[in-house]
Amino acid sequence: MAANNAAGTLEARKGFRAFISKNTNLVTFITLAVGLGLLTSGRSFEWPSVRNLMIAESVRAFAALGVGMIIITRGIDLSIGYVVCLVASVAASFAQTPDYTAALYPGIDFPLWLPLMAGVVTGGIFGLFNGVLIAYGKLPAFIATLGTMSIARGAQLIYTRAAVVGSLKDSYKVISQGSLGPIPNLAIYVAIACVFIWILLRHTKRGTNFYAIGGNSMAARVSGINVERETVVVYTYAGLLYGIAGCLLAGRLGLANALTANGMELDAIAAVTVGGISQTGGVGTMSGMIIGVLTLGIINYGMTYLGVDSYYQLLVKGFIIIVAVWFDMKKYARRA
Amino acid sequence: MKKLVVIALVLAVLAGGVFAAPKPVIGALIRNLDEQFVADYAANLKVLAAKAGVDLKLLDSRSDQATQLDQLNTLITQGVKFFVIVPNQTEATEQMAKAIQAVGGGAAFSNIQPSVAALKVGPNFFLASSPESVAGSIQADIIDNYFKKNPGKLAAGKTINALFLLGQLGHPAQKYRTEAVKAGLVAKGYKLNVIAEDTANWKPDEAQQKMDAWIAAYNGKFNIVITNNDGMALGAVESLLTAKYTKSDAADGTILKVPVLGVDATQVALKSMSEDKLYATVLQDSVGQSSTAFELALAMATGKYKPGFKAWGLSPETKPGSEAPANDAAVIGQCYLVPFKAVTKDNYKSFMTK
Repeated sequence: MAANNAAGTLEARKGFRAFISKNTNLVTFITLAVGLGLLTSGRSFEWPSVRNLMIAESVRAFAALGVGMIIITRGIDLSIGYVVCLVASVAASFAQTPDYTAALYPGIDFPLWLPLMAGVVTGGIFGLFNGVLIAYGKLPAFIATLGTMSIARGAQLIYTRAAVVGSLKDSYKVISQGSLGPIPNLAIYVAIACVFIWILLRHTKRGTNFYAIGGNSMAARVSGINVERETVVVYTYAGLLYGIAGCLLAGRLGLANALTANGMELDAIAAVTVGGISQTGGVGTMSGMIIGVLTLGIINYGMTYLGVDSYYQLLVKGFIIIVAVWFDMKKYARRA
Repeated sequence: MKKLVVIALVLAVLAGGVFAAPKPVIGALIRNLDEQFVADYAANLKVLAAKAGVDLKLLDSRSDQATQLDQLNTLITQGVKFFVIVPNQTEATEQMAKAIQAVGGGAAFSNIQPSVAALKVGPNFFLASSPESVAGSIQADIIDNYFKKNPGKLAAGKTINALFLLGQLGHPAQKYRTEAVKAGLVAKGYKLNVIAEDTANWKPDEAQQKMDAWIAAYNGKFNIVITNNDGMALGAVESLLTAKYTKSDAADGTILKVPVLGVDATQVALKSMSEDKLYATVLQDSVGQSSTAFELALAMATGKYKPGFKAWGLSPETKPGSEAPANDAAVIGQCYLVPFKAVTKDNYKSFMTK
């Protein structure tokens, strides 16, 4: 009997370890959340804090879902920040109050769908362009997206003449700033996007193709996957997601300018990496991406809440990212 | 598991000094500590808070308006009601004011002007800043003095051939400073001929690049360089020095062939003046602005604020001026205008910290 019991405990322990090892990102997130809860005597668990976190991370979540899929196919995208910036500016320019004399199109009251459409299309075009450069132009993703990053930045400055695109209509701002009961609209949009991405990655042929390409693109090709087409598709999907991110960000801020969303690519890449989307490709889940975003979000939020000096915040964030990637690499090095 | 340990350790390190004794609490939302003026502003806030026994929660948004909104939300959840704000953009101030008004608080805005709509959110919202047009007018005065002393530098027909390096387009400081210096020179009877003008986004390196191109294109055709801030002025100075656009003496106050003017009176700009490079600048008073804003926030936090309150010895304006938001009679009593000061060869030493 005693021997049986001991074996049972051992099994349970093994199971627990396996669970932790499999869900490191979730465990990390929960640990951080509990830690912050203790440090703030429970206030970080109260609804206003949770709500703040959701609002703060929602735009980044869209960027992360986009680049997360790209990284699953073993790509990378550095153009996110400036593409989102350009999209936000384009969307904002069609949503300015018509009586605002400094508007880009003064005196014109555009219908509400136009800024959203223009923004998402702009994002999609940049994604498509990235995809074509990488898939058919055979450019390394790093270089191709570095180029489009600069193009997006230049286009933003030219389009806006480097000015602030402000004074947005309330009807546009409420898209981002409104709430459904206690739940911020932004969080609802993220939830909807998550469902789509989850279905795409888990329950469609296309999703399987993304993993196959990231795991081994030669093998994927041999097994009949059109690697070029799927690559274009994944970058375009990501571009559309950045498009949504930019539209929502403009609505949230009530403006856009050349500084909007700068550096978002690093936040998004870091978040999905912390969330277990391996840089070696072929590995990662939608839930991982969102857990990654929330993990970095809670670190940001916690440090702001605790009043940590902004310079130290950058240090801490940097170290946490390095540590997360370190463990990620070790995990997959062992497997290989 | 190791990851957990590391992260737990990081959190533990951060845990120091979380709980404070009940003191008046003021939140300070600061645009970007990388900018000299803003850094000086924040440093003075810390000094004032320490003196007044105030718990100052100072956060830097690193030029990101989204971050600034998140920081505001976080502080509001923590129960902070009264704020000193150096915003990222005028257009975002109304939204911030509304969020603060919702918890019955108040705020004083500095450096980037709040919109009229932001001040109209409630009587507890203030402008504690310097009217940008005054900086431009003072530049015009300095230029007038320069050409009075050196009439030979003028082009025929009392003409000023100017190069303008502008801040971020549409930024209130860019708009009002530029308009005022141009209007000031014309009012003084000069013929102002703009040889070239372009934005360098407040940045020295962009200004230097623009200036390099302009020296090549307009060599000898301009007699002054007017900029919206010291950073760009120093970029222009570097460019002129590199191009050897200099003369052997500094009798007119600069070794450059043409005078260069900035705004801000940063320490590095004053040093350049001491080396006869930058000709003159205008002090945007970080101590004056931060002291005014801080005293307003503190008065609100301690229930001592009444309309007409004197902050840093300044009374609120009574008559609407020309520049938003102090141009609207409805909010004029919420506008505290901190004066700019001309900084020239005669007085620059008094502004140097050492």
